[in-house]
Amino acid sequence: MSRLDPPRVSRRSFLSLASIGSFLAALGTAAAGILRLPNPAVLPGPLRRFKLGVPEQFSVGSENAFPDANLVLFRDDDGFYAISSTCTHLGCTVARSNEGFACPCHGSRFDSRGNVVGGPAPRGLPWLEVSRTADGSLVINADNEVPAGTRYKV
Amino acid sequence: MYRWALLLASLLTIAFLVGAAVRENYLGQWRSVQMQYRDILREKATDDRGRELLARYRVELKQVSLPALGTVDRCVTCHNGIDDPRMADEPLPHRTHPKDILRTHPVDRFGCTICHHGQGPATNFEDAKAEDVFWDYPLLPPEMTQATCATCHDADKLPADQIPLLRAGTKLYQQKSCGGCHKLGGRGGVLGPALDNEGAKTKHQLTMVNLKPPHTTWAWMQAHFRDPAGIVAASQMRNPTLTQHEALALTVFMLSQWKRDVPESYLAPDKVEQKYAALHRQPLTGEQVYEQYCKTCHGNGTYTRWDKTFKRFVPAIRGASLLAAEDRACLIENIQFGRPGTQMPTWDLRAGGLLPEEIAAVADYLRAGVPQLKLAAVPALPGDIERGRSLYLRNCAGCHGHQGRAGIAPEIGNPVFQQSATDEFIVHTIRFGRQNTPMPAFQRPDAPALSDQDLSDLLVFIRTWRPKGAPAVAHANPGSTRGMP
Amino acid sequence: MAETATREFVHNLRTVPQTLRDSCFRLGKSPESEREESQATFHNLFLHIHSVRVHLRTLSPTLTFGLGLMATASFVITIITGVLLMVYYKPSTDLAYQSIKDIHFTVSTGRFIRNIHRWAAQLMVLVVLLHMARVFFTASYKKPREFNWLVGLGLLVITLALSFTGYLLPWDQLAYWAITIGSNIANSPRELTDAIGVTQWMDPGGFQKKLLLGASYVGQDALIRFYVLHVFVLPLALVTLLGVHFWRIRKDGGLARPEEAPGGLAEWGGERRPVFQPLATKTYGLMALVKGKRPPVNRGPENTVMAWPHLFWAELSVFMVTVATCLILSFYFDAPLKEMANPAIPENPAKAPWYFLGLQEMVSYSAFAGGILIPMIVVVGLALIPFLDRKAGGEGTWFGTTGEKPVFWQSLVFATVTVVGLLAFTVNFGWLRNWIPKIHQLWIIAINPGTLLVAVFAGWSLLVLKRRNSVRLAAVSLFTCFLVGFAILTYFATVHRGPNWQFYWWPSQWPVH
Repeated sequence: MSRLDPPRVSRRSFLSLASIGSFLAALGTAAAGILRLPNPAVLPGPLRRFKLGVPEQFSVGSENAFPDANLVLFRDDDGFYAISSTCTHLGCTVARSNEGFACPCHGSRFDSRGNVVGGPAPRGLPWLEVSRTADGSLVINADNEVPAGTRYKV
Repeated sequence: MYRWALLLASLLTIAFLVGAAVRENYLGQWRSVQMQYRDILREKATDDRGRELLARYRVELKQVSLPALGTVDRCVTCHNGIDDPRMADEPLPHRTHPKDILRTHPVDRFGCTICHHGQGPATNFEDAKAEDVFWDYPLLPPEMTQATCATCHDADKLPADQIPLLRAGTKLYQQKSCGGCHKLGGRGGVLGPALDNEGAKTKHQLTMVNLKPPHTTWAWMQAHFRDPAGIVAASQMRNPTLTQHEALALTVFMLSQWKRDVPESYLAPDKVEQKYAALHRQPLTGEQVYEQYCKTCHGNGTYTRWDKTFKRFVPAIRGASLLAAEDRACLIENIQFGRPGTQMPTWDLRAGGLLPEEIAAVADYLRAGVPQLKLAAVPALPGDIERGRSLYLRNCAGCHGHQGRAGIAPEIGNPVFQQSATDEFIVHTIRFGRQNTPMPAFQRPDAPALSDQDLSDLLVFIRTWRPKGAPAVAHANPGSTRGMP
Repeated sequence: MAETATREFVHNLRTVPQTLRDSCFRLGKSPESEREESQATFHNLFLHIHSVRVHLRTLSPTLTFGLGLMATASFVITIITGVLLMVYYKPSTDLAYQSIKDIHFTVSTGRFIRNIHRWAAQLMVLVVLLHMARVFFTASYKKPREFNWLVGLGLLVITLALSFTGYLLPWDQLAYWAITIGSNIANSPRELTDAIGVTQWMDPGGFQKKLLLGASYVGQDALIRFYVLHVFVLPLALVTLLGVHFWRIRKDGGLARPEEAPGGLAEWGGERRPVFQPLATKTYGLMALVKGKRPPVNRGPENTVMAWPHLFWAELSVFMVTVATCLILSFYFDAPLKEMANPAIPENPAKAPWYFLGLQEMVSYSAFAGGILIPMIVVVGLALIPFLDRKAGGEGTWFGTTGEKPVFWQSLVFATVTVVGLLAFTVNFGWLRNWIPKIHQLWIIAINPGTLLVAVFAGWSLLVLKRRNSVRLAAVSLFTCFLVGFAILTYFATVHRGPNWQFYWWPSQWPVH
């Protein structure tokens, strides 16, 4: 062996490196699994999907409040839309008013499209996703918001 | 050396961690089922709605959580197509739910296990079926699911074509006169256990020793109906002689007997009415009472039957010669108070559960049309107890038993008999016997076996068994508690 | 000025990775000299409880089998997996069972983590028992290590309590009925106080049971108490005592090991080794290549080596072997879960966790003897060992004193024969109440298989004491008898006791109910 030869990685330290490396890899793999655990694979609690009946039940221009589902379902010429009744300020349930909606807690006011017209609410009332189930009835998914103005056409 | 161990152990650790991750995330049964379903959706995405459903479909765990019912049902993870009418021709588990049930019982509100049982929290079929798993209520076979309708509905008000087996089973229970030995709703005999919550039983509460696997409650019930003593050793239950279909129907009826605690909002209105009506029920007719409670032991009642299990004769209660001699009040008293110590139960409202009107009605049904005889007076001769005893031992004890009890013939020493039968009745019966029964006539006009003196002696001896302190017989009205043990 | 500062700033920003690393690891590289190695141990928060040098002999796997480390490792594993389980477990009688089902079926990695927790816990109980046996048979409790032996006993009790409290949490049939038995064992002083008629005024049994359950039945209150004990009180106690346990190892001069042979290395494999050892390869000797001897390089005085890296290789590998064992077990075997707890349907047979089954067998004859008396005798007996056997010598080697091995084997045989014989007797002929139905309960408390075995074993060890004239040998005989008795009784109650606690040859023969 001359000084010009590359230094040999002796078996001892290769073993050391390999064992420490595999140890760290094992730790990392375990950490990956552990970190996934707190993320719920399926959201607990009752479903926040509300089946509201077939589209034919709701005439054009109608509005129907569903207090159990905390939303109001509208139908106009362009289609269906559902507006949540939960005030975007601090979560109270808004009431229907002449101009749209009014919140009894801190005085937020919304027009009939859910846009804020007064009070402390930071943004408009959420529009909720409207779709249909396979058997044809309308279903509102309260966990999914859609941009204001989205209509569901039947 | 330690480093080799460290290396090996770390590699093994990584291997098994990865293995577990793969097993959980890629090899789960539900995942491949959902991918299959997505393919089906793709095939069927020929119109707007189909395309919309395909676009919205996500491969993920799905569940229906219903705190009110205390259930979390994950069946919908694999059964994706149950509310999609287009899936009617697809194989399970993708197929549409049969019949129109989901229209009135949406999955979002009811879940699945309230009707089908099974292990709701499971995410694969074997665990959901829960037949060989530690779970109280395995999945019901499809034909038996109708049993659970009774949880929320009054089964009698449901259309027969929806619950054919349940309806048939309910009728069979009455026709086979199961109530003669079993209580249901507080009414019935006492030779067998009460069946009110039979549907709530788990397999641990039934004797599975003689049953071939699978050890499910319904398999047990069906086998038990077809061969009681074969399933429960030393069972006294008479074989009801059922066909396979009848056994199935009765099993469905048994499974429906479950006093399950369901929130009121889930109960159908007729169920609430049914619960109320149970408190104020309409009396059955005499014929119905006889069919449901008496027929199993007494048969058609016109002749004596020999009971193999209990090794005794069962009286012919519709026999003409009995009914001619026994008056209505006496008949009612005997039904009301039974024969304590024998297989004849007390049918009084607080015990056997029959209403006074029902007891009277069945008494009338028994009598139907048999004219009442006026019985002759007893011989006016003083009786000798000792003579009576030896006469009794020679002529009567063989069938009626040593002390008038525990023989193979009706217990004339039984307190209820002693207090309801008149002296005239006793003498009349000894004189003329009973047609269609083994009781001979001991004073036939052409060939009298006993004299009047003999009869007096016998009567006096027989009366020594009357309970002390009991008043002389004077028939009370039905419902009376006078002087009964 | 400003230019230099900007350059300085940029330079600092660019060298952040190195400067960050250097701030965390002061050495900045692998230790290269013994001084650096000692600093790596001494200056590290987590590592400095180790001594900088350790005795070579104590690194030998056949001395300790790494049992203490394995116990600690399985404890750490249960802590980690336990905390993860706490994210989803709900300690309410309505929700507990469902939460365990959720962990099994839907939680990411839930099934695996739960299995690991269960197997690590079982492993921990087994390993601490083996560790106690190891410490005893290497006489590592002798002065100055008596106190550490006591601390270890405390750790044993806490470990068993941890396992027992955890057993209830799934709220299934297994859990509910095992704890029903356990709480009734706590109530067993009643047997004694009833027999002498003082229960009215003095009821320690009832008191203990009420304290344990918070009620007169196993219900929500019991669940909450067990939960609090299991996740907070007992782990805290264990960690505290564990700290003391490790600290004492340091203060007592490290793990017990045999004395050095004068002028040479210690006995290794029964033979004295010279200071210079034969070398596998050739070396220089007086200007020629010859087969030579190797001088004791890299070995300090008293035959010690640096903790870094040798001790830490050993610790890390034992830790990972424990982890790997738990993972393999958890991959193939699910933690058990039966139907939801149902007070109306008793399990038959209702069995305590395996480490208490030997006691349950004793309890089947007399609740007080099996539940309170014998455990107390055992614990006190174990605690007294280092104070009764005070003669120095023989530490650090298996069967270090002369005559230990034969005494060990003889006691093994004796205990096996006695225990098996006694069990065969009771299975065939019953016990006092079978022969004399009206006998007073006090007789049964005094004379039952448990007390009989204690008396017989004590007699045997007194015999050894006299015959062999050695306290240590007497201790070996008694401890061996205890171990054998524990093992056989546990095995017997696991395999051969079926419904109604009747004797069966195999579980397959249990009557299908």
